[in-house]
Amino acid sequence: MGPDSAPDPPVPWRKVLWERQPFPDNYVDGRFLEELRRNEGLRQYHYWAVVKEAGSVGQQLSCVAIFITVWLYMEQGLLSPEVLLLTSLVCAMLGYGLHQVLASTVDSGDEPRTRLADLQSAAIFLSFTYGFSPVLKTLTESVSTDTVYAMSAVMLLAHLIFFPYTQPSPPGSLSLNAALFASVCLASRLPGALHTFAMLSCALLVFALWPCLLQRLREKAPSQFTGVCVGMCIGGIGGLGSQSLVGAVLLALALGNVTFFCPLLLITLQRQKDNIQGPWDEAEIHEDLSHFIQ
Amino acid sequence: MGQRGRAVLQSNASQQESSGTSQDALKHNRKHNICMVSDFFYPNMGGVESHIYLLSQCLIEKGHKVVIVTHSYGKRKGVRYLTNGLKVYYLPLQVMYNQSTVTTCFHSLPLLRCVLVRERITVVHAHSSFSALAHDSLFHAKTMGLNTVFTDHSLFGFADISSVLTNKLLTITLCDTNHIVCVSYTSKENTVLRAALNPEIVSVIPNAVESTDFTPDPSQRRDDRITIVVISRLVYRKGIDLLGGIIPELCLKHPDLNFLIGGEGPKRLVLEEVREKYQLHDRVRLLGALEHKDVRNVLVQGHIFLNTSLTEAFCMAIVEGASCGLQVVSTCVGGIPEVLPEDLITLCEPNVRSLCAGLEKVIARQRSGAVPTPASIHARVKNLYTWRNVAERTEKVYDRVVGEEVLPLHMRIQRLRSHCGPVAGSIFAFVAVLDFLFLLLLQWLVPDQIMDLAVDASGPFGMWNQESGIKKRTSSQKS
Repeated sequence: MGPDSAPDPPVPWRKVLWERQPFPDNYVDGRFLEELRRNEGLRQYHYWAVVKEAGSVGQQLSCVAIFITVWLYMEQGLLSPEVLLLTSLVCAMLGYGLHQVLASTVDSGDEPRTRLADLQSAAIFLSFTYGFSPVLKTLTESVSTDTVYAMSAVMLLAHLIFFPYTQPSPPGSLSLNAALFASVCLASRLPGALHTFAMLSCALLVFALWPCLLQRLREKAPSQFTGVCVGMCIGGIGGLGSQSLVGAVLLALALGNVTFFCPLLLITLQRQKDNIQGPWDEAEIHEDLSHFIQ
Repeated sequence: MGQRGRAVLQSNASQQESSGTSQDALKHNRKHNICMVSDFFYPNMGGVESHIYLLSQCLIEKGHKVVIVTHSYGKRKGVRYLTNGLKVYYLPLQVMYNQSTVTTCFHSLPLLRCVLVRERITVVHAHSSFSALAHDSLFHAKTMGLNTVFTDHSLFGFADISSVLTNKLLTITLCDTNHIVCVSYTSKENTVLRAALNPEIVSVIPNAVESTDFTPDPSQRRDDRITIVVISRLVYRKGIDLLGGIIPELCLKHPDLNFLIGGEGPKRLVLEEVREKYQLHDRVRLLGALEHKDVRNVLVQGHIFLNTSLTEAFCMAIVEGASCGLQVVSTCVGGIPEVLPEDLITLCEPNVRSLCAGLEKVIARQRSGAVPTPASIHARVKNLYTWRNVAERTEKVYDRVVGEEVLPLHMRIQRLRSHCGPVAGSIFAFVAVLDFLFLLLLQWLVPDQIMDLAVDASGPFGMWNQESGIKKRTSSQKS
């Protein structure tokens, strides 16, 4: 049954090796590759649904822009730390109230954190930041300003890259730490210790608490979520525009790119997807076998 | 090219030898000078290694000349002779990972050229897609104008980045390989897809099992108990996690059930933990790594052979199990459903529930005595897969391959670029040109004509048989 012997087709070919069949070894039957499956379990995306999801990425980008805007105002002395602290406090109270309201609409099964515990954490954080703000202020004194800016830029980029967009609550430790590192760097370049304190409180609000609130909003009121995202984007562009027109244009381009162009790219490239599966694939163990050992 | 000239000369010589016979008869009587290349060979042990060795032995028996090229293993360097004058070249090449050598596309050319020219090789037969040396040799052999055959022993997926890269490499090295051999139909489908091949140049020649080494011996069984034998490397791909789920499930249900597990590997921990947790020390025996000669003695102690592999191109283990007269239970993955007839194997889905159900069925059958005797199973299996048959079929592949024309450089470049995509194709077309220039340099430094020809140990002019008497005498004098 070498590759050259003539095919003799009265008996149908079978995909078995144990039987000597009257076919050459290189025989290709019509059933060749019949078990090949293409693009199994492929998810079909809809453009506007993807745009909506991408909105959270754009929103995060705008958060960073807003934070930088606030810092620019502080640095130029256009915004006093007292005003920022007061605004932050009001925002925090409002946000906390909203968070509570959204939580109470559907009562979750596990025991919720008490208000007292929340108050306690806030008090600890604020007192420590206030106490340490003179230290933080002088922390990067020996480092050149260029280095500080470069470091902040890299860290904010890292924050954006490693941000857990699918599950932002609680914020991922890497992205949160990167963002806080960047804010300490930036805050240390402000004129006074109170400035540093105000800036760090604001950073906590923007990078740690806001994503939690937004996630809650997304779960409970998805229609409002889109509006909030759009609002944040406009706020970010407007805020940056008041300081630097080029920055605002670049941000607008980036936002347009992320929210409109990238989803389009995903959907077009989806058509090119050619994933093949077949009997040669390694079987996967779906069961949880750990209970046999533990 | 000198090599091609030589090949023509040689075929002329063989034509003169058998002048008077028809062209067709000549084709079937032609003896080949075959060079088997793979990173995997003795002292490494495994399926590929034994495949190369046993196939070579059968080809030598059929009068062909066979040499094996592999990389050096520790102190085992240079040329060694194995049984029947099977010459093995252990080339001093750097091992990178898992016994596979480093590949730079060029550095192995001088050594390989030496071997191929000195041994007057006509067909280069490379084995295993994990072997970098095999890929290198396919590439260089084409530069030197030789015909090539490749045997693929394993299955690959398409999803992860490592398989994407290896598949691209395979596409490139197989793009002008004359013929490819796969060990099962599933493996053929896989290889055809991976390397974008014409299925007509892919033959399916299954592995074989030395059935005389795997004879049943029911007297070794304990009749008051039922023993399930597992012999495999204890690694994830062999489904040892599934085995860890099956053992407690079945041992709790059947108090007379024993497990006998041969093999070593990182997943041994799983089995030891299971044994510890369920206190099965007297019923689950872990034998550790087994030598090939001991496998049969373990197999004959069992009633049921269990294979839990998650992927398998052919699976010789189940044939060995059946050859020893055991009832075989196996996962239905890869090429396994093609290997044994339905009544000799119980196929299960690769999960604990299905495997347990399959085993229960076989255990019930075993208890009721409704199973064929080991001797009758052995009788059915023993002639299914023999190395002689494999050698015969491989010989036909060689016969077909030597008649084919080797693409000249410009055609080869064209083929690489049209077949392997614009980027990788162009890069490797460039590499092919460099390889060719490198070969010209080597030929200028040491022309083929002045290279010494090696003494044939096997093949039509093999010296092994003539000299073996003398060798024996000298060795006895030494001792």
